[in-house]
Amino acid sequence: MTKKTSAISPKRKRKSISYDKYGYFFVAPFFIVFLIFQLYPIFFTFRTSLTDAAGWEKILDNKIIGFGNFAKLFDFGTEISNFFWRSLGNTVIMWVFNFIPQIGMALILASWFTDTRMRLKFQGGFKVMIFMPNIITAATIGILFMSLFNYPVAPVNTLLQQFGLSNAPIEFMRSTPIARGLVSFIQFWMWYGNTMIIMIAGILGISPSLFEAALVDGCSSRQTFWKITLPLIKPILLYNLVTSLVGGLTMFDIPHLMTQGQPDYTTNTVARFIYQQGFETPNNFNIASAASVILFGIIVVCSLILSSIMKDRSDKKVRRMGK
Amino acid sequence: MKKVVSLLMVLMLLVGCASFAAAEEEIVLNVWSFTNELEGMIAKYYAPSHPNVKINYVIYPTDGGEYTSKVDNIMASAAASDEAPDIFTLEAAFVKKYVNSSVTADLAKVGITEADTASAIPVMKQIGTNTATGELKGLSWQATPGALMYRASLAEKYLGVKTPEEFQALVADWDLFMETAALVNEASEGATKMVVGAGDIWNAFNFGREQGWVVDGKLVIDDILYDYLDLAVELEQDDLSNKGNAWSEAWFLGMKTDTTLCFFLPTWGLHYTLKPNCGLTTNDTMSDEEMKAACEADGGTYGDWRMVAGPVGYSWGGTWIGANAAKVEAASDAKKAAIKDFILFFTMSEEFLYQYALDSGDFVGNNAIVDKIIAEGGTPNPFLGGQDHYSIFAEAANLANGAIMTDYDEKMNSLWSDYVTTPYSKMEKDLDTCIADFKAQVTAQFPELVVE
Repeated sequence: MTKKTSAISPKRKRKSISYDKYGYFFVAPFFIVFLIFQLYPIFFTFRTSLTDAAGWEKILDNKIIGFGNFAKLFDFGTEISNFFWRSLGNTVIMWVFNFIPQIGMALILASWFTDTRMRLKFQGGFKVMIFMPNIITAATIGILFMSLFNYPVAPVNTLLQQFGLSNAPIEFMRSTPIARGLVSFIQFWMWYGNTMIIMIAGILGISPSLFEAALVDGCSSRQTFWKITLPLIKPILLYNLVTSLVGGLTMFDIPHLMTQGQPDYTTNTVARFIYQQGFETPNNFNIASAASVILFGIIVVCSLILSSIMKDRSDKKVRRMGK
Repeated sequence: MKKVVSLLMVLMLLVGCASFAAAEEEIVLNVWSFTNELEGMIAKYYAPSHPNVKINYVIYPTDGGEYTSKVDNIMASAAASDEAPDIFTLEAAFVKKYVNSSVTADLAKVGITEADTASAIPVMKQIGTNTATGELKGLSWQATPGALMYRASLAEKYLGVKTPEEFQALVADWDLFMETAALVNEASEGATKMVVGAGDIWNAFNFGREQGWVVDGKLVIDDILYDYLDLAVELEQDDLSNKGNAWSEAWFLGMKTDTTLCFFLPTWGLHYTLKPNCGLTTNDTMSDEEMKAACEADGGTYGDWRMVAGPVGYSWGGTWIGANAAKVEAASDAKKAAIKDFILFFTMSEEFLYQYALDSGDFVGNNAIVDKIIAEGGTPNPFLGGQDHYSIFAEAANLANGAIMTDYDEKMNSLWSDYVTTPYSKMEKDLDTCIADFKAQVTAQFPELVVE
């Protein structure tokens, strides 16, 4: 290399050598921060889950005791394992009731916005409005809904009474379906805009010639959607499903701020269980870490299953199309 | 060269600016707290008379447990290091956690004697004492006794009560309190309720217990708590309360309008909660005159409040000053003396407390000063129609029993409210199920406790 370039002027040589390595300096901050604030804590959590670190004085001064903390969480019938699995059940229920409408709504809106025959007006305005809830922090929205649905004096109750829809104030947050429904609704409302944008990007990535061909062949809008759009955005759907699952299983802020796990523990999520164990008195870091590791395992397994199901099919299709 | 420069810049970005303590002959005290309250007091009262003491004041907010996790981490990893606090403040929510542990120093180790603290208000001292060993580990400049605030005009209208003494007679114990609640509801035809809800009287009621939540590693449900549940059911089911929670919309509405007769509030609740919320358009940046004018113009309750001791003497909240055991152990005699002086200056010295009480109106945690202020005519408060709040708080302060406070209180109180008081008073579950739910939660949260 140097022998060949020696003929070129020394000025140019210096430039071509020195630029290459600057990239590392620019990515270094991210990797350093990642190593210190993400990777290390992850390993620390794994380690803590194997120790007897119960109590704030033992966070650094503890010893490894093996899988006892996991055994406690899998020892069905005891209170602690009972609450852990109940929290997981609550989380899954609230996630499902948020995900189904979310993906449905996002798909419908995305197909409308990209439909060449429909030519919707004011698209930008609609997109902004739909995406808006995602910009506000979840904490703010949690507090907002808590005040809206408070009891006995709160806007929603006042409204219902003024329109004569109820005689006495209703205690929304003491009803399991309403409390869970509100958590699911907030998650749905906050995230369907985001999902929609990703879907639109996915649909716009499909070659327009396919849609044109369908149009020429006399496909209805419905047929185009089911036979062309949906199969071709499957990877995007998978991406949404996995990210939503990860986000949903680690759901924390809305239930924590709005319902505090009430009524009767039915909106208590796994992340809240971990928070209560680890960060409230008496700081059972070991149990909290073990629960985090189990949650991590569940998320990894679910993601792998989902991606293998979706991937295999799309691979086969590609192969078939290739033939 | 460019490489080195860019690497340096990256490093500087990460490291930030590290401060290096100047090596001087002065004594440096690291003080950690969760608000700037003490910082202001240091600057105004302490610094002028202590030029040779340099205070490094560090604030971490209590939101999301930041303060406690900072303290926990430094105490676990580097308790005796230079950046660790020498002195740190403790809030009611976690004071017991630290004074019952080994991280706070026995104040006798810096030379604070029993005689030095003889005039401290007992309840604050009890809370600052290690429950197991009896060592005094935290002292407070303020006391936070609670009282019962009520609306004079409503009491006169519905109960025919003209003076606070007459009203106190109607609420002297919880049975009388409930009888009065029924009377108010009847006389006002439901327009005015005695209190906002059962949760609102919890902070007062739980001071009637003889035993704290945990005694010798065992969960204790004091018998009086079952009385509390009966009372909660009555308040909820017989329409004797507004059925709201503390800090809810209904609670604040009760302060501004005629929906609620009484509030159980401590010293800080009077000044920072009730007063700014007394009118529809009042807020905490207004002066007394402005609040009064706003209430007259837009409706409000300024000047209509009176204060009585109520059914039970209690304390709610507070801030304590403690010292770091590891640093006290390693400190020179001069530094120990400085720590002693710092703590006694803020908690015991007349020089500071008297002036501070006059300047701020806060209720100070020292009976000698409190007596002096009352003897000089007290603190006639226009918000309370000219009533002297100092003498009533003083009475409550010396009745409250701090021995029932445990490290578990904050969590236990919220579990009790969520799993027993609320579902039982709303008739969602029967008592046995509620108690079983509560015990299950306690077992899961506190694996080391014996729950029977």
